[in-house]
Amino acid sequence: MSNARIQPRPVADTTGRPDFISIKNFGFWYGDKKALESMTFDIPERQVVAFIGPSGCGKSTLLRNLNRMNDLVDGISHEGDIAIKGQSIYDPGLEVISLRRRVGMVFQKSNPFPKSIYENVVFALRVMGVNNRAVLDEACETSLRKAALWDEVKDRLNDNALGLSGGQMQRLCIARAIANRPEILLMDEPCSALDPIATGKIEELIHELKTQFTIVIVTHSMQQAARVSDRTAFFYLGKLIEYDTTEKIFMNPGQAQTEAYISGRFG
Amino acid sequence: MEENQSKSTEQLSESRFQVSRSTLLIDSWMGRIIRLGGISVVVAVFGMLGFLVSQIFPLFSKAKVEPLTLVDFTQASSVAWGEDEYGELPFSCDTKGNITFRKAKDGSLVKTWTADFKTTPITLEGQTTPAVSIPVTAIKTYPRDGLVLLGLADGSVRELKISYKITFAKNGIRELEPTVDLQYAGKIGELNGPILEAWSVKGPEGKLYLSRQQKDGHDVITGRRLVERKGLSGKAKVTVSEPFPIAADVTDLERVLVPSTADSILVIRKTGEVRVYDNSENTFSLMQSFKPFGEAKNQTIAAAGFIFGNVSVVFQGNQNEEVVWSLYPQKQADGQLLRRWGKIHDCETLAGVGQGIFPAAGNKCYLSVAGGRMQIRNMTNESIRWEGAAPASPIQQVVFSRNYNRFSVLCEDGKLYRWSITDHHPEASWSTFFGKIWYEGAEAPDYTWQSSSGSDEFEAKYSLVPLIYGTVKGTFYALLFAIPIALLAAIYVSHFLRPEWKNVIKPLMEIMASLPSVVLGFLAGLWLAPLVDTHLIPILCVIAILAPSALLAGYVWSKLPQPVRRRVGAGWEFAYLFPFIVLCAYGAWQMGPLIESTFFTVKDLASGQNISDFREWWRQSTGLSYDARNSLVVGFVMGFAVIPIVFTIAEDALSNVPNSLISGSLALGASRWQTVWTVVVPTAISGILSAIMIGFGRAVGETMIVVMATGNTAVMEANPFNGMRTLSANIAVELPEAAAGETHFRALFLGACCLFALTFIVNTFAEILRQRLRERFKMN
Repeated sequence: MSNARIQPRPVADTTGRPDFISIKNFGFWYGDKKALESMTFDIPERQVVAFIGPSGCGKSTLLRNLNRMNDLVDGISHEGDIAIKGQSIYDPGLEVISLRRRVGMVFQKSNPFPKSIYENVVFALRVMGVNNRAVLDEACETSLRKAALWDEVKDRLNDNALGLSGGQMQRLCIARAIANRPEILLMDEPCSALDPIATGKIEELIHELKTQFTIVIVTHSMQQAARVSDRTAFFYLGKLIEYDTTEKIFMNPGQAQTEAYISGRFG
Repeated sequence: MEENQSKSTEQLSESRFQVSRSTLLIDSWMGRIIRLGGISVVVAVFGMLGFLVSQIFPLFSKAKVEPLTLVDFTQASSVAWGEDEYGELPFSCDTKGNITFRKAKDGSLVKTWTADFKTTPITLEGQTTPAVSIPVTAIKTYPRDGLVLLGLADGSVRELKISYKITFAKNGIRELEPTVDLQYAGKIGELNGPILEAWSVKGPEGKLYLSRQQKDGHDVITGRRLVERKGLSGKAKVTVSEPFPIAADVTDLERVLVPSTADSILVIRKTGEVRVYDNSENTFSLMQSFKPFGEAKNQTIAAAGFIFGNVSVVFQGNQNEEVVWSLYPQKQADGQLLRRWGKIHDCETLAGVGQGIFPAAGNKCYLSVAGGRMQIRNMTNESIRWEGAAPASPIQQVVFSRNYNRFSVLCEDGKLYRWSITDHHPEASWSTFFGKIWYEGAEAPDYTWQSSSGSDEFEAKYSLVPLIYGTVKGTFYALLFAIPIALLAAIYVSHFLRPEWKNVIKPLMEIMASLPSVVLGFLAGLWLAPLVDTHLIPILCVIAILAPSALLAGYVWSKLPQPVRRRVGAGWEFAYLFPFIVLCAYGAWQMGPLIESTFFTVKDLASGQNISDFREWWRQSTGLSYDARNSLVVGFVMGFAVIPIVFTIAEDALSNVPNSLISGSLALGASRWQTVWTVVVPTAISGILSAIMIGFGRAVGETMIVVMATGNTAVMEANPFNGMRTLSANIAVELPEAAAGETHFRALFLGACCLFALTFIVNTFAEILRQRLRERFKMN
């Protein structure tokens, strides 16, 4: 079956709030099409949760609802609620911009802005109105160090970010997402366009980052889910089939569909 | 059967891979046709450029001068000459007044006319004094008028009219038969001494005869008028005035210049002083005296001559000086503006002592002789048209033909050297088109475009600078109005407006782009210009209030509680903004008259009453002009023509920014505006620049709107409340009136070339900038 279980994985930090992100009876529609069936589960603080499932199962849709990126799509509607630290993200008094500052996101395809590496990293701070050069410099270095990119780019911070390699660009996007120190980091198949070496670096990075951030990662690679996550949620046709510790999902899945998927019989 | 089947499968499988002949044929032919199309586009562009250059090239060529046959009059003492209209039968006049006609073609003698003027025999006390011949002492020819004026030793003059009778022989060859008729005989002054010099000019009031004689070692100039008045019966009655002295106060007289208009006389003294006597009443009185080479210098004047038009004189000195003085309005000490002589050109000249200045007919060129060289120069732009060696023998007289295609030099040895001259554009030079030129009658050098006038003596002025200025000014005001509106609209439509609205607005803007500019020009000239003229302050108030009211609306919006704002869906904010702005604009419109009466009240010069009128206030307080068809109107309407194309292209560029960048920015907690301003606009900047460039190109080349809405005055003022004349409008207005091949026609083509160069330079610069920006913000 999967050789992921032989990979060593750091122990999950269980000291944080267990219902850091709380999804309650949440369902979601694109127009008339129901994309997510009503589901309820909690994501604990400072743990890595992987969403797995075949294409079109709704895992990305759920991820994009956590920072309300789906608001950009026309004709959406939802039921139930998602709360972060007990506050509903649909609260009319809550600015969506402040939600997104709290919940950072890394996309499937790296999308650095056509600006310098430096300006990419400090972008979130700049839009928050920080213009103090010392603060920006420090944030830039810290973020790049956290994203394990500092040593590679420290001499060319003013070069165009588009001159970096694919793996470096994705790490730059991670550095950019953590520069304003969000609480949650959403990763939408961050390694799908990368080679194994770059993938390895990103996975190491996720291990590092989870000491500070709550990470939700969508992935097509079950090995990756097994390697990086503490908990795994399996989706199928818009339904949450199973959600449990990663070990339980991969060693002893509770549902036949999960078993079939992780053993590679479909999907 | 089985065999057959297998064969057919084999055949099928083979033919599957075969390409039909027609596919290949069409492919190769289409390739050729497309290549042909591409090449013909390139050829067409270069052909057009080549045509433009071929049209303007002759403007910058020098005169071509080629020698014609030499006519030897074999009269050693020839002093003056003249010729017929065709230059076929020149004549010379020797010191005795004898006239010889010779054929220009072969120099053969046609006719001689011997001067023989006798005194009338007087019978006194039965003794008859026989008639004695009176020697000729002064000779002057007016070749273009066919006049020969002879001054005699007894103080009288004889004016001879040379006419040519044209007959056509049976074989169609033109034959000329010269006749010499005595036209006037009489005395000018009361002195009986020999006439040293005589002039005959035709002024507006009639003929004026002048003579120079000596009395007690002094030069005496005397004038006499012949005024011809036609009575009702048609009978002409000639009145001869009493002789009157001219410049009686002058000593050391060197030479006298008499313009053919007879309105003033220039007397040059040996000291280098020029005294101008102006025609007033029936005599001439001193108007001005000056030293052409500078008051300090006691520089004698070697030669001088009136230029065609009789308001400018070229003076030649002994030490390589050549200056042009002209009559133009000058401010006097008492503040009055009077026409006085002043120096307008200081030319580099031939080395050596000046030997003569001979004007051309019909244009401002003249031939100057010095140090054995001859030079034809255009007085106005100082350009040298031609230079060559002068004949060895001293030059007596140089005459240009009426249409400036020939000039001939009569030398003392009786030889007439003839040249043909090909110079179609003597008035054209770089400085004519692009430099400041001091035209006759102007107060200072200036850039002037004035291509035609009612008068024949008018000198056309072809400075393209005011037109280039007008083009840039019109474009500037149009872009000032269009670019902010078009770009903000493009940003709004591409990133803030709901898609269903966008799908309506974009095609609507494209329809707006197809509105014929003649319709816009018509609206500008006949509807908008009068509206702006009468409601200027309210309109300016509305423009001024738009941006602040939008900002105020935004501020109020940001202070509204979040639940209220959420009720207005994303992309529907304009429903709130629009009434707000309309209300503000209406308020500003209503405030207009109040503002005008508060700030712009002036005393009306006509009625002496206080009126509140911005236009009058502008004229009085700035001293600048105010026209109804002004830059503001052009800016509005040309801006209206430019907005749609700039909008369309910029909107495309902004919409094409990848969504991944926008989501990336939004996910980092940037607001929509921050996303647009910091991510979308920089990424789309090269496309936006293209949009601006295309808008610029449209505004620069726009013709109908500017023809109809600018007033077409070629002025150079940054004043927003007057009009302009643009290069394109100039071509549209004047090309129908310009004769093909003449300077005016070619100057218009030069304007077209400038227009081309203007867009070419700006577009090249913008393209380089665009490439750089694209490199900087390129997307992988």
